[in-house]
Amino acid sequence: MLSRRNFLVAAAASAALPVMAATDQGLKLAFIPQENPEKLLGDINVITSWLSEQMGVPVTGFVTFDHAAAVEALRNGDADISFMGALPFVLAEDQIGAVPLLSEVYRGQPSYSGRVFVRRDSGIETLADLRGRDIAFSDPVSESGYIYPLDLFVRAGLFSGTGDADSFFGQKFFAGGYQQAMQAMANGLVDAAGASQYADLYLTPDQQAEVKVLAESEQIPSHAIIARPDLDAGLQAKFIETMLRLNESENRHLLAYLYGPDGYLPADPSVYEGVRETARRYGFLK
Amino acid sequence: MKHLIASTLLCAMPVIADATAIEESPWAPRAAAYRLTLFMGNLTPVPWDEIERSWTLPAFGSDFQVAPLSRLTVNEAHAISQAMQAEDRQALFEASTIAIAEGILRHLDSAKIALGQPEAAREVAQAAALFRAFEDGIKAADAPAARDLGRAWLVLNSTLGNAGVLGNAEQDVDTDRFAEAQAIVVNYIAANYLPSSYAKRDRLTPVPETVVLTGADVALPSTLPPGSNIADQRELPRLVLQFEEAGEDEANLPLVAYGDMLFDSPEIFGGPARELGIACSTCHNRSDVNRDFFIPGLSSHPGGMDVDGSFFNPMFNDRTDDHLDTPSMRGIRFTAPYGRDGREPSLRRFIRNVIVTEFAGKEPTPFQLDALEAYVKQFDFLPNPKIDRAGKLTDLASDAAKRGEVLFNSKFAGLGDKSCASCHTPDRQFRDGLTYDIGSAEPPFPGGTATAFETPTLRNVNFTAPYMHDGSLPTLASVVDWFNDTKNLGLDEAQRADLTAYVEAVGDGEDPYQVFEGRNSVFRLSWEELTTFASTLDTLLPMQDAENIAVLIDTVAPDLAADASVMVNQNAKPEIYEFAAILLAVGDASAEGNWTEATRQWELFKAMQAEIDERMF
Repeated sequence: MLSRRNFLVAAAASAALPVMAATDQGLKLAFIPQENPEKLLGDINVITSWLSEQMGVPVTGFVTFDHAAAVEALRNGDADISFMGALPFVLAEDQIGAVPLLSEVYRGQPSYSGRVFVRRDSGIETLADLRGRDIAFSDPVSESGYIYPLDLFVRAGLFSGTGDADSFFGQKFFAGGYQQAMQAMANGLVDAAGASQYADLYLTPDQQAEVKVLAESEQIPSHAIIARPDLDAGLQAKFIETMLRLNESENRHLLAYLYGPDGYLPADPSVYEGVRETARRYGFLK
Repeated sequence: MKHLIASTLLCAMPVIADATAIEESPWAPRAAAYRLTLFMGNLTPVPWDEIERSWTLPAFGSDFQVAPLSRLTVNEAHAISQAMQAEDRQALFEASTIAIAEGILRHLDSAKIALGQPEAAREVAQAAALFRAFEDGIKAADAPAARDLGRAWLVLNSTLGNAGVLGNAEQDVDTDRFAEAQAIVVNYIAANYLPSSYAKRDRLTPVPETVVLTGADVALPSTLPPGSNIADQRELPRLVLQFEEAGEDEANLPLVAYGDMLFDSPEIFGGPARELGIACSTCHNRSDVNRDFFIPGLSSHPGGMDVDGSFFNPMFNDRTDDHLDTPSMRGIRFTAPYGRDGREPSLRRFIRNVIVTEFAGKEPTPFQLDALEAYVKQFDFLPNPKIDRAGKLTDLASDAAKRGEVLFNSKFAGLGDKSCASCHTPDRQFRDGLTYDIGSAEPPFPGGTATAFETPTLRNVNFTAPYMHDGSLPTLASVVDWFNDTKNLGLDEAQRADLTAYVEAVGDGEDPYQVFEGRNSVFRLSWEELTTFASTLDTLLPMQDAENIAVLIDTVAPDLAADASVMVNQNAKPEIYEFAAILLAVGDASAEGNWTEATRQWELFKAMQAEIDERMF
């Protein structure tokens, strides 16, 4: 039987063990390429070196193909933490119990919207005008680059779900990213683009003057940093605390090596309720 | 504000969070090397070493730290190397075009094999990244094909399949549609970039071969090669205008305001400079220097370029690779003669030289020269409390600087029994208005006479690195070392440090860079400048001066619209487009001689300016 004294020592040891074990193995971060994977690798080294130094824990990073691969990496333990969009996060939360740690702040806000853009000279004035016309979205697993812009049509009563979208539009494309979808629209290859609120900034300044916003979705929580559920709570807290130091003026230059946010906020799981509800409506969540 | 916004970039760009600049997307290594090859291959003489560097080292404009040659097949690399070795432009064009074209086809084949797996998306992305090297040529020369190809890329991306996340949002592979789209790309590439033989190209361009063979005159927009940076300056210099510091408003000085506009206007230049949106302020940003300005093949390092090369004005190509470090224009009215070689005593004539000879502009009108001169003469130095009006150090200078002041005023045998101060005369703004051959340039031929260079001012010199006429010395300490070594001054390490401290004290200045925060944004600065430029319409409209109104509006209206892309308050962006459109309406009415309408639109513009001013940041 443990004496009270021994019990305390044992409790402390057991509490410390996971951290020490994790420390031995280091913290593994999964990054998802937004530009090119090789550039990201250089950026990752800057961030992981800084995190290692600040946390006193070896931190390594690797680039995954996409959100799906990052979620898989969290599930099978290849990654402890990953950068993640709000929609894939709620899927990962539902199926593997992933937890949100931090939210990006971009242009002063922890949220953004999805928009439908058209060219000013297109004569298109309403979402209904896009019946039979072509549209480019970013990616099928994108909240602001697909589901939320698509949901604008559903809410307008033009069709009821992703399946019906194909018969509403002339052709529906997934261009492979915001930039590609916006370029396809600006260059006249398609009539509209569904992309993030700030996706017009991927166009040249001259092109930006030639496009307009046809419709805008409700606010979507900004991209998050999430963890596998069994990652030690102490390590999670330390990671959050360290990342929040990026908001301090002397560290802000390092944000450019991430995805260029203004900073980070501790995540609030309740802000994803709207995304969960939307994912349920589209059959992504049961 | 051409110095803030690049409106001529080839392709879409990621945007820096603080929105002070827009950058071009990184290029794939082979595509970057190809575009550098085309650009440099069109220069006269061809900088072969630079072209070789583009293939054998990580290329400018590509963030990938790999040599493009390493991504070629053995045969492709061999053909390119042979062509470079033979200095054969046509052979290099053919070999490098084949390498890009074959690369596209290889990546598409790999994508086809990987359909349904994440690798397929990556292979298509890599093929598209190489295709970018040809894209503007196809768009300019063969618009219907550009559209068909653009649609084909959309189909390729949409049909390669996606496993979704944990089984959700999966997309099926559509093998047939993928194959159809692949065939469209492959057939076009084969016919236009992998022909059995190529027509001889006088000018190296990505214009498709089938169009070249028709002899059609293709209007290919001017582009700069990957790695060029003409607009993205991280720290914006602080502009000190004499009238402004004295409390006067530029809007009350129409000649100065008009000159300020011309200083920011590509309309006064010609050729590629005008097309690319280059203005005086591109290099002489806010009276100082754009230290980040760089064009591969024209610049040996950031902050300058060879201004008499073949690109901007072939008529004045001296066929010599002579990079010139961009001089600051702070205090320009006090620093005659002009040009690094001091060849021109008149500021007015030097300005004309820049417009007409360096950048192929039309002969400026006397009014335009009056305006530009009036504006640039307002450029003052940054205040520096470490020196007094006679150029002597004040008590604010360090002891080391004061020891350096003694050395600066000491005569040295190696300087012909003169001192540093003999030429950099403290009570003459640390220059003497004369030119000297100090051994910083070689004679053009053995026994020839080396170019002499004018004594540059040391005021605010801390912010204008690198140094010497060709920017060959990176720091002030290295300049001191250079004089010590080449003029046998015999200064020990401590003395050199003191002399450097002195030059740094003299070269200092208060608040050298513009600070942006919150509403005080880059766009706000641009908004205030552009609306001030527009205010000269109060003078020009009553004069019914259609010619200068056209220059003003062709400069200001597009800039207003382009600068909207860096607004912090993106919600107000549509208002800027509307605002710019009203200004264009002033220009249209002016061009038609309808002065009543022009005046009415101008009043609308001013009313809208007052209404939206609060939101413009």
